[in-house]
Amino acid sequence: MNKQQGDLFKQGTLELLILRLLSSGSLNGWDIMQRIELLSDEVLTVTAGALYPALHRLEARGLISAVWRPSDNNRRAKFYGLTAAGRKQLEAQRKQWERFSDAVALVLRDA
Amino acid sequence: MNFKDLRRRWQALFHRDELDQELDEELRFHLDRLIEQNIKNGMSPEDARHAALKTFSRVDQSKEECRDARGVGLVENIIRDVSYSLRILIKNYAFTVVVIATLALGIGANTAIFSFANGILLRPLPYPQSERLVFLDETALKRGIDSMAVSYPNFLDWREQNKVFEDIGVYFGANRFALSGAGEPVEVRGSYISHGLFEILRVSPQLGRTFTADEDRPDEDAVVILGDSLWRKNFGGDPNIIGRKIMISNRARTVVGVMPPGFKFPQVSDMWVPVALTTKTFTRTDHGLNSIARLKDGVSLSEAQAEMNNIAARIEQQNPITNEGLGVSVTSLHDTLTGDYRKALLILLGVVGCVLLVACVNVANLMLARATARQKEFALRAALGASRWRITRQLMVESLLLAFVGGVVGFILSIWALRLLLTAIPIQLPFWMNFGIDLRVLGFTAGITLLTGLIFGAAPALQTSRVDLNDTLKEGGRGSGGVRSRARSLLVVSEIALSLVVLVGAGLMIQSFLRLKRVNIGLNAHNVLTASISLPRTKYKEDQRATFFKQLLERVRSLPGVEAASATATVPLSGDGWGRSLTVEGFPVLPVGQAPMIQHTVVTPGYFRTMGIPLLSGRDFNDADAKDSPNVTIIDERLAREYWPNESPIGKRIRFGPPEDNEPWHTIVGVVGAVRHQRMQEDTRKSVYLPHQKIPVGGLALMARTSSNPEDLAGAIRREVAQLDPDLPVSVSTMDEVVAESIWQPRLYATLFGAFAGGALLLALIGIYGVMAFLVQTRTHEIGVRMALGATTRDVFKLIVGRGMKLTAVGVLIGVAGAIALTRLMHSLLFNTSATDPVTFIVISLLLCSAAFLACYLPARRAAKVDPLVALRYE
Repeated sequence: MNKQQGDLFKQGTLELLILRLLSSGSLNGWDIMQRIELLSDEVLTVTAGALYPALHRLEARGLISAVWRPSDNNRRAKFYGLTAAGRKQLEAQRKQWERFSDAVALVLRDA
Repeated sequence: MNFKDLRRRWQALFHRDELDQELDEELRFHLDRLIEQNIKNGMSPEDARHAALKTFSRVDQSKEECRDARGVGLVENIIRDVSYSLRILIKNYAFTVVVIATLALGIGANTAIFSFANGILLRPLPYPQSERLVFLDETALKRGIDSMAVSYPNFLDWREQNKVFEDIGVYFGANRFALSGAGEPVEVRGSYISHGLFEILRVSPQLGRTFTADEDRPDEDAVVILGDSLWRKNFGGDPNIIGRKIMISNRARTVVGVMPPGFKFPQVSDMWVPVALTTKTFTRTDHGLNSIARLKDGVSLSEAQAEMNNIAARIEQQNPITNEGLGVSVTSLHDTLTGDYRKALLILLGVVGCVLLVACVNVANLMLARATARQKEFALRAALGASRWRITRQLMVESLLLAFVGGVVGFILSIWALRLLLTAIPIQLPFWMNFGIDLRVLGFTAGITLLTGLIFGAAPALQTSRVDLNDTLKEGGRGSGGVRSRARSLLVVSEIALSLVVLVGAGLMIQSFLRLKRVNIGLNAHNVLTASISLPRTKYKEDQRATFFKQLLERVRSLPGVEAASATATVPLSGDGWGRSLTVEGFPVLPVGQAPMIQHTVVTPGYFRTMGIPLLSGRDFNDADAKDSPNVTIIDERLAREYWPNESPIGKRIRFGPPEDNEPWHTIVGVVGAVRHQRMQEDTRKSVYLPHQKIPVGGLALMARTSSNPEDLAGAIRREVAQLDPDLPVSVSTMDEVVAESIWQPRLYATLFGAFAGGALLLALIGIYGVMAFLVQTRTHEIGVRMALGATTRDVFKLIVGRGMKLTAVGVLIGVAGAIALTRLMHSLLFNTSATDPVTFIVISLLLCSAAFLACYLPARRAAKVDPLVALRYE
């Protein structure tokens, strides 16, 4: 498994975040990394060593698909987008995550 | 897996370079953005690049993970592992050759022995549904006889009364017939069979038909069925042979059928005539037939046995005198045929398996040594991102690759070894033994090859995967972990133990064989030529037979180089035998079943002198013992001792056959030394000799004692026979050959055991040497320190040898325990040798210890010569 991921990013968590980010449009690897840091107020960081294998895994599972096209600085980059299967997976995982975090929150509040 | 997925995997596998390029490009894009960002944050372009590369250094590792994510990582990686392994193995070709040679010998020997066992034990008999065929034997358990030939009237009762068999048939050994009138007279092996026998076997003739019930009667039986090879060889495969009359042992018989190619029954027969018996010519007390039957569908062996028990009891009730205590045993035909070989083959398989294990251990040892030397390489690979699983897998791939090549070479070796093995068998092998390569043999070789690879590959793989990489790198590849040396010790101990088991087995076998060879068979077999001649009954009447042999013997005696010549109806140890029951005058008359069986032998005058059998008292037969003279006989000393321990047997009278037959009495005129007629191992039958002139049987073997190599006389003797009767076939061999052939099985086993033991010993010694040499090499530093601190060369020597011998001692102890447990299984294969013979155990243990000492001695001497200064600088 990926040791560089650290404890914070369990594989499934990183994949859920990727799917969520791609649900609003296709992005390349660099962009995904920037967005994760930005959106989480730099609490969550992801290394390239974790990100790219995760992207390839998702692609292999058919949850995302990739095309090569110019990026904003006019260089060719690989852009990933959500497939229909990926969208379904995102929904399922988001629900699961919400149930999980609600449950944790509940315990933390009442215990 | 849908189509898209399949296509992606396909692409991933075969467009690897393309995909790798894409990956590189994707990552380079990322790197460039990182540099841009660093510059934006105020770094100099150079620093920006440097920092980016630093944070990015681990991305290279993630490449492998990205590839794995493509889903074909395993296949692709294994292809890469194989090509990497090949490069490594070719580079270290000396190592590779040693390993492959060791494995090839081990696998080759195993495959050869397995093919041998397969041909005998595993292949079904070459008849349709052969598993339904059974062999019927008579038994007389009360007298300790568990297998006895069948009598004709009993067979007829079985056939009529049973409801468990489709049919029962009888046949009568492989007899020698003379086929004349078709070129040179030839001797043909043929059998007498009852009608319906081939239907039981479910084999139909390729031409003509089988015998009818009518033809299975005296005087109606002038018919013959030919085997395919006889038909092709002697009749040119004539398609119109059916109906043709041919001369067989001077009787004209009409050919009614030709059997299909490859068909032989029993054993080696190639021609069949009807048995054509009657209950008068073959009574209930004549036990001489073999019987087979086919079980009806749905009937089990035990049901058939139960039915036959009932029938035997019924027959006994009706014929209390002749059938007292007689039973029937029903056994599977395949088991009956393979019975003799089963045990020996299983033991051989076990032994050769031990040799393979020793080979495995040796290779594991080598692999371990090499894995140690390669620790740095592995550590480096691990640091570059290869997982432990990757490295372990790499090692397993190497092992399996070595095993595979070893297996292929071994397989080729085995074909040659099997051929060699078969030439060591002097007898004509029974028809059903077929040693070709079949799927079972291939599967076996593939199986042991894989197993071998896993066994010897496991040790180094496990070892390496457990090693702490950081330690290894720090240690500079000198690693000598405690675990590692324990594993090596374990290997040496198991190697010694395994080879001790094989060596003890071989020691026992060889000792047993040597004892068997030294057995006094009661005659001098050197320089004796035997020539078997069978006079056709129809051409030679009784008087003519005696005259023929008399004339022939006179001619042979006058040949230069012949010292003496005479003839016998039963060549000792050739398998010929003629047992009859004995009644001694003055002793209680016993019914046939209980009377002692004696070996009944017909000889011409001068036989004892020719064969070197001592005449202990009385006289030999002479020409005066003719047809009308009183009945005389010569007995052997064992019979004399049994009945007349304190007086001379000369003048006493004995007779043969069932008491109610009232055969004439024979007066004992001489006593001769005992001869082992049946087997060299033991001979329970006492012998009685009768003069040929009185009992002028047609089949005799001429025995000629020669002054030089007896084979030189073979041609001359053939010529003398041809001058008397050009239609007679003669088969010639030397008496030494007959004796050697009678013990071919013990000889073969002793040879094989010896070869395997030699191999195991050699491998074990190489193993010990390797480990000790390695020990000295890795501990040079330590030895140097010890010597610098005042240890003498003697101390160092003792250190190394002591360690080696300690391992040897443990191995020997375990091996002795194992050997005691295993050699017990060999008991029945041994002659006059105890399976736990202490001398063998002690001698073999000492031999192994001293050989191990030698193997330790060389490395120890090297250690003792270590110069402390050099050793300390060794780092």
